[in-house]
Amino acid sequence: MADRRRIRLWPHRVMTANATDAPRTGVVGHRAGVRRPPRTLTAAAVVTAALFALPGGYVVWRVMGGSASPLALLASRGTLEPLWRTIQLAALVSASTAVLGTGLAWLTTRTDIPMRRLWRIVVPLPLVYPSFVGAAAFISGLAPGGIVHDLIGYLGVDLTTRLHGLTGSWLVLTLFTYPYVYLPVAARLTALPGAFEENARLLGDGPRRVFARVVLPQIWSSIAAGSLLVFLYTVSDFGAVHLMRFETLTQTIFRTRLFDRDRSFTMALLLLVLALLVVAAERTVSRSGRRRGAGLDTVGDRRSLTVPLGRWTTPALAATSSVVGLALVAPAVSLADWGLFGFLRARQGGMPLRLDWHDVLGPTWNTVWISVLTALVATVVVLPVAYLVTRHRSRLGEVVNAVVVAGFAIPGLVVALSMIFWTMHASPFEFLIGSMPVLVFAYVVHFGAQAMRTAQVAVGTVPRRMDDAARLLGAGRLRRLATVDLPLMAPGLAAGAGLVMLSTMKELPATLLASPIGFRTLSTQIWNTYEALFLPEMAILAMVLLCISAVLTWLLVVRQSEHLR
Amino acid sequence: MPAPDAHTPTLGSSAATHILLGMLNRRIQVPRATAEGLEVSNLSVAYDGPSVLTQVSLEVAAGEIVALLGPSGCGKTTLLRTIAGLERQQAGTVRLGDRVLGDDTTFVPPEKRRIGMVFQDGALFPHLDVGQNVAYGLPRAERRSSRVADTLELVGLAGMVDRMPGSLSGGQQQRVALARALAPRPGVLLLDEPFSSLDTSLRVQVRSEIHHLLLELGVTTVFVTHDQEEAFVLGDRVAVLNDGRLAQVGTPDELYRHPVDRWVATFVGDANLIPVASAVGTCRTVVGDVPVVGEVDGPAELLLRPEDIRVEDGDDGVVELVEYYGHDAMVQVRLDDDTSIRVRTGADLTHQRGDRVGVAYVGPGAVALGV
Repeated sequence: MADRRRIRLWPHRVMTANATDAPRTGVVGHRAGVRRPPRTLTAAAVVTAALFALPGGYVVWRVMGGSASPLALLASRGTLEPLWRTIQLAALVSASTAVLGTGLAWLTTRTDIPMRRLWRIVVPLPLVYPSFVGAAAFISGLAPGGIVHDLIGYLGVDLTTRLHGLTGSWLVLTLFTYPYVYLPVAARLTALPGAFEENARLLGDGPRRVFARVVLPQIWSSIAAGSLLVFLYTVSDFGAVHLMRFETLTQTIFRTRLFDRDRSFTMALLLLVLALLVVAAERTVSRSGRRRGAGLDTVGDRRSLTVPLGRWTTPALAATSSVVGLALVAPAVSLADWGLFGFLRARQGGMPLRLDWHDVLGPTWNTVWISVLTALVATVVVLPVAYLVTRHRSRLGEVVNAVVVAGFAIPGLVVALSMIFWTMHASPFEFLIGSMPVLVFAYVVHFGAQAMRTAQVAVGTVPRRMDDAARLLGAGRLRRLATVDLPLMAPGLAAGAGLVMLSTMKELPATLLASPIGFRTLSTQIWNTYEALFLPEMAILAMVLLCISAVLTWLLVVRQSEHLR
Repeated sequence: MPAPDAHTPTLGSSAATHILLGMLNRRIQVPRATAEGLEVSNLSVAYDGPSVLTQVSLEVAAGEIVALLGPSGCGKTTLLRTIAGLERQQAGTVRLGDRVLGDDTTFVPPEKRRIGMVFQDGALFPHLDVGQNVAYGLPRAERRSSRVADTLELVGLAGMVDRMPGSLSGGQQQRVALARALAPRPGVLLLDEPFSSLDTSLRVQVRSEIHHLLLELGVTTVFVTHDQEEAFVLGDRVAVLNDGRLAQVGTPDELYRHPVDRWVATFVGDANLIPVASAVGTCRTVVGDVPVVGEVDGPAELLLRPEDIRVEDGDDGVVELVEYYGHDAMVQVRLDDDTSIRVRTGADLTHQRGDRVGVAYVGPGAVALGV
């Protein structure tokens, strides 16, 4: 189903029909089958909301209480230019991913393109690249010693191209974020009953007109939601734009955080507002999409018409393979090339690799355990809120849920920045400066929403009667949780935890900023080796990260998505 | 006492002996003497806004089976859930045996009520096997005892202990759900439309199996249904609910023959309601003279059940519709004064659509319902 697919991308609450449509005539009294939530649950949710609101709240407080006038800072060129660049880039990337993602989804679900099943598996895979690894792979591939540079060199052309600026950022971000559009659109297309299109054909429309008049209106909300997610991803991105030397808001925040804190925080607030607007827009879009789609899911034969490509087969195949080639194969080849080059160079007595087993295993281990820890904490933290919203339909729960979702909109950079300065200035909490809890906290605030969505789905999958039955058999609250709820929710919760884990290991800016001194993870080490221009070492670490992330992506996103069927 | 394997005709053929014999043959111990009486008085329940149940009072004797019958939305499931403690009442008392489960000051949570409940779809725990499901409500010490196997044998599912609920048929799932509810020896058993998720052919079979079992065990039972036939077949008494109020409580026969009002009369079975100016003595009607039971002095309606009327050769009206059911048939006759009357006839159809026929009252007497 479309919605099940979207769970994995948009960490918002899932609205079941009765959750939103239930009449709310008053808080007093109670509704059928809805129990008032236990106090402990409410208390836990309130604490969660307070914690999730802390980073954003601190940014606002800093800007309002800063020495410089925030309005003057906002109006200055130094602020407006990065803002303009950010919006420009995000709009471009959203537009191109919308076209690319929709096109690929249509090709792989509605046409007779050869090797359809293979494409369906491969096309979403660029998700495994963190944007900064992808950007680094492209830049290093084109740099002297990189595979592209060498290949051109064989042809006798000495051409050093440098991918940078708006073009570079746009290209790289498009290639690595189009799956965010592809996945929901492909899922929607798969779920869309073929009967609509069949009817349109019988009523006299050709394939092209069917697409424009029947298919597009049906999948439009998925496209919009996916593109908005890409927009959010782009405005929050730090790694790729930094490597491409394109100064967006995140860049400016990072650069000015030490010497011009007022500016840094003002920009952070600006970014925060932008991101919240995008999330609000997405919620509106997908809510209207749900409303339109409601009641249309027909049962029975879901197979849809296959459009024969005919003479368009070759161009379609060429387009699909070039996208996959550029987004998936090229970066991998470039990294592998650098890694191999490093090994060969060391073996032939050249400069040894500045990397031993210890340097790989240490960060790998750190990456794994910190992301597992984050995933566990996030799941535990969001569970009470999920209960309140889904089972008790509590208003308070809705509010807390909105706060948690807003946390997802705050870029990791801003969360980390806010937390660092907060610990520095909040007098009883100085012991937290540069400590592991702050890092985990930043991750949880940033990614908790991803666990929230699946947690709500998971709570929703436990039928009320199951809980009622257990109660009547004499089971108290804890026994019900342990013997009925948790076992039934386990797959859903695990999926949510897995998503958080995946995001955590790919996260760069929060890790860079909030890591305790000396705590090295794969992403910080990739970053550092790249900045130090140790490209072979960077490539080896990046490949390790990619492998772990590929396994998780496979388990969580690709394997479970219904569009593969 | 006969030997357990004795299945000899010398024991006679009374129903009690038969049941006892069956139990002994199964060599199991049936939970005894746990049945308690249930008393609901002046119960009112409201969600946000309008009340769902208003001043409902109902007494269920120990070992009795009572059906809650009503159209959907009448509050019957709410009544059941309130007895179970899954909903809270605004006013009134629920009492089981000599324990108060809920009143203005007391609220015993469902997990402490000792009430067994079987849900519409069984609500078996999908991640636990049949044995673990049945053992769920037992005290820790008893979970590994023979109690689980015994109860499963009782419902005819011996040897299914290790099966997962998903691999069972609908009827088997319902029986596991029943075993799970019975295992902890509840004081009262509540069934919420327990057969409605089964398909028609299976429904009757499972229903009669469970009927047997409930009688055998003597469990106090309250069950909810919207199916009048089911209520009549299973219930010692039937409580008819309409719009949150108790319309009538009585044996199936009382309800069918002597409904208290028009609504109950039409809800319980087919009814021809013939208006008369005054229902006293014997009334002259379109179907002939009808003796009146429960007289009403003034304008009233007479309740004529379709089987109280006969179709014969004559000239009262035209056969409008014939519905053939196999064991009998329903003939709808449009009389010359334009009233339409439903008549139950034997399976051997004597008249066809379009025939002119006569109708005659052959019943024992009709109930008069005030208008």
